[in-house]
Amino acid sequence: MDFISLLSPEYFLLAAAGSLVGIIFGAIPGMTATMAVAVCLPLTYSLGLHEGLALLLGLYVGGISGGLVPAILLNIPGTPSSITTTFDGHPMAQRGEAERALKICIVSSLVGGLFSAVILFLFAPLLSDFAIKFSYVEKFLIIFFALTVIASLSSNMLVGIFSGMIGVFLSLIGTYDVGVGGNGEYRLMADFMVPYLEEGFSLLPVLIGLFGLATIFLEAERGAKDEVGEKRIQLTQGTPFKLNVFRGQFVNMLRSSSIGTFVGMLPGIGGSAASVLAYSQQKNFSKDPSKMGKGAPEGLIASESANNALTGGALIPLLSLGIPGDSTTAVLIGAFTLQGLQVGPLFIGENLDTWYSMMIGLVFANLVMFGIMFFAIKHIAKVVMVPKYVLYPIIIMMCVVGAYAINYGIMFDVWTLLIFGLFGYVAQKIGLEIAPLVIGFILGSSAEVYFVKSLESFGTLSIFFTKSPIAIVLWLMIAASVLFSVYLALKARRNSKSRAIEV
Amino acid sequence: MSQTLTSLLEVSIDFDQSHLFFPKLVVTLLAGMLLLIAVIHRARLVEIVRTRGAGLAFFEENADKFRLFSTVGLIVIYFVSMDYVGQLFPNTGLGFLFCSIAFIAALSLVYVHEVTRSVLLVIACNALIAPLAVWYVLGSLFDITLP
Amino acid sequence: MKRLISGMRLGVCALAAAVAMQAAAELPSNIRVVIGSKSTGGDTYQSSSIVAEALSEKLGVNFKVDATGAPAAFKAVERSRSSDGSTIMVFHDQAYLGVLYGQKGYDDPFANYSIGPTFAINPGNAYLVSKKSPYSSVEQIIDAAGNGETVRVAIQPGGVSEIGYSALKNAVKLKYPGKEGNLTPVNTGSQDSKNQAMFDGLADVINGSVQSNEQYTRLPADDQKAMSFVWLTAREQTIAQANEDGMGKTTRADLLKFVAPNVQVPMAEGQDFTFDKEFFFLYNKDIDPAFVEAIDKALGEIYAEGKIQEMQKKSFFIPNFKPAAEARTYLKEKNDRIADVINAIKG
Repeated sequence: MDFISLLSPEYFLLAAAGSLVGIIFGAIPGMTATMAVAVCLPLTYSLGLHEGLALLLGLYVGGISGGLVPAILLNIPGTPSSITTTFDGHPMAQRGEAERALKICIVSSLVGGLFSAVILFLFAPLLSDFAIKFSYVEKFLIIFFALTVIASLSSNMLVGIFSGMIGVFLSLIGTYDVGVGGNGEYRLMADFMVPYLEEGFSLLPVLIGLFGLATIFLEAERGAKDEVGEKRIQLTQGTPFKLNVFRGQFVNMLRSSSIGTFVGMLPGIGGSAASVLAYSQQKNFSKDPSKMGKGAPEGLIASESANNALTGGALIPLLSLGIPGDSTTAVLIGAFTLQGLQVGPLFIGENLDTWYSMMIGLVFANLVMFGIMFFAIKHIAKVVMVPKYVLYPIIIMMCVVGAYAINYGIMFDVWTLLIFGLFGYVAQKIGLEIAPLVIGFILGSSAEVYFVKSLESFGTLSIFFTKSPIAIVLWLMIAASVLFSVYLALKARRNSKSRAIEV
Repeated sequence: MSQTLTSLLEVSIDFDQSHLFFPKLVVTLLAGMLLLIAVIHRARLVEIVRTRGAGLAFFEENADKFRLFSTVGLIVIYFVSMDYVGQLFPNTGLGFLFCSIAFIAALSLVYVHEVTRSVLLVIACNALIAPLAVWYVLGSLFDITLP
Repeated sequence: MKRLISGMRLGVCALAAAVAMQAAAELPSNIRVVIGSKSTGGDTYQSSSIVAEALSEKLGVNFKVDATGAPAAFKAVERSRSSDGSTIMVFHDQAYLGVLYGQKGYDDPFANYSIGPTFAINPGNAYLVSKKSPYSSVEQIIDAAGNGETVRVAIQPGGVSEIGYSALKNAVKLKYPGKEGNLTPVNTGSQDSKNQAMFDGLADVINGSVQSNEQYTRLPADDQKAMSFVWLTAREQTIAQANEDGMGKTTRADLLKFVAPNVQVPMAEGQDFTFDKEFFFLYNKDIDPAFVEAIDKALGEIYAEGKIQEMQKKSFFIPNFKPAAEARTYLKEKNDRIADVINAIKG
């Protein structure tokens, strides 16, 4: 246990500092955990291995958590994985329960983060052997499973699925990237678009355009008035936060954290799939699914515990296979190589000290994240009180910074922001549903790769059913999820009809 | 029987053409769904055609078109000028800084309803401080590339 | 008199300083280094950061590395503004391999850009087989394909990852004309999907790297993840420069077993194919010659000092400095040599 001697005060200080900076990055719409880790990577040159890792782990945990703040307060997901947090978080903030929503999320984040850290510590090598059993076929089914959330999320199922397909369509524009196994050919664009759309639309500008700018356009149309008098949001209004909100949510937390860890563990499945899956499963299991999406704490719990559980999950393949589980851990690999350390299947066994110190850093960063956020919330929540004429221009400016920086300085990403801002505005006017569209966009390109690659390798559609027992289990889950959301939709329709008759 | 089923399920994808397989599938599905939606809601469609779109309002009632179009216009000007000014001072982020100050001030003035001296002061301070802080902290301290 | 001399000395110093200032003033104060990769965890980013850091220190100018990816990086360098050197690019052999393989988004780098100095090699490009595989050497693979067995090789098409595969195919063709079709590609993307293709039994041979696959080669043979190297494409003299410890627990001596002439992939009569992944600068086509000279000179001094070599070797890069003019001729020759291989297997 001589690794304890490696943990200096600076170690803890850096983990805490990382956490704080990460939260700030995550909280700015358009800035992500990945970016936080990437910009701080050069700092680790001069730090020792353990200190450097502490800083980066802090940034990672903080960055993922920080995303919940704008999701709740501004209805803009700070990071792609906090998209489902907006569904219930923002309605709560509008009811004046911003502080309560934030606190629920922070507690859930802590639980998810710690849960995944424990799983990582105990089962990493075991789970990585399980993860490599997921080939193209199984990965496609996971993505497909996540896409079924569209059915349960939309208010009109047909329109919802249609919107989701539009999202998928938009995600396909550009090159069929060789980096993911494509053939590098262009599709779905005219020649004049090539210089701009060669690499397609970037996810983050699309996301903040659809959520951030579109909302601002809608508000501008309404005159950007600040509510005055009684209608003005009061922070003390609504239900205050009490721990008993978690009563009966234990299963939800456990399920969502497991989903988060599991999805994080599979390389090549984006992190946003985690919170989307957790959210839809909670909706299927919920006692009162009709409340979800209108400000239900259970939705927040599902979303946030899942997306923080990603952190530990994504570290599993990194540390036990040398393969990053998501985009942020891909940057972490750089930190290891800079220090002359190689990650791979033998990493843990050969670097026990580093392994233990990383685990401590991860747990500590989660605790610091919780501490900082929980006590800063009172002040953060005041953002909703800032008058719109001050707030909106700043939001637009921050979105620009984020969009420009996401691919290290590409002006077209800034224009993407405007294109999708206007598109989101118009789409809402003509009745398309934004949430399914975004989910389609996020998952579309991986759905393509895994679907086409499965067929390319096996040459028959039957492979989706016969590949492995895992595939069959996934199909059963997909079927259950779809049937259940159809049942819920029918029930909701019957209810509204009978209510209409009563009136 | 089982043989025909297997051959039905067989799909061979040529790698060189694989980039078109999924998009074609998606476009077909989209078209099919559009048709389905049209069929299900045909009554409403007929109604719209009959009344020549009356009762279909794109904008809200009492829409504040001035604020809406000023927002779009200002954003376009902001993006264009940012890129242009940024070219004059390459790799310094000054294009972002100068244009953001102007943009924030202008948009705030568009949005504000009651102009008083103190409100103007708030707007001016905000327009100066916010971009400066972002430019300094993100652009200089964290070395993030800005226009 | 003494005063006069010291006065003159001062004047000369001032003049020298002014001249030096002048030379320095020609460089833009902030230089953006765009790279051909979108990853900040990859080798391009890493090697660029090392050299950018050294240049910043040497020239007192801020070099900032931006991982924009190839198409965006090419575009940024092409802008006429970049002719003063305010935006420059770092990439590797992919820059011309992309053209040779007909990839979208690549233009002839020798015609449309100005080639800058080379500075490092990543010697890790490798081919691996599963430990359970019937093949254990390149020779067996070539013979198997020649005897009618289908050998599937997982690669990322269109560049550095494909070049070794092309060379293997060419070798099959030389030894068993007409049988090269038995070597087939499994087109995958990132390293994890190549590994996965092997675990899934979809590929017999995979392209990989010493850095990311070394630990897999040390797993016990009964582990389904276990692999072994069959070929490193690097030249013998390149690997010979690596630190003696090699990578992980695989020493330099072990690595040398997998390079030519110990592993032979014939390219022509009595000639083996080798390939080093070399990193170099790309400038705007109309780059200011003074800028090119300034960078060449600064890099020359940096490499003469010898500190950067330590840094590079620690991260498993091989130092490889060639001034711009020399780099250009060298890379053009390399381009032509590889074009022959690719053309040979086309027909």
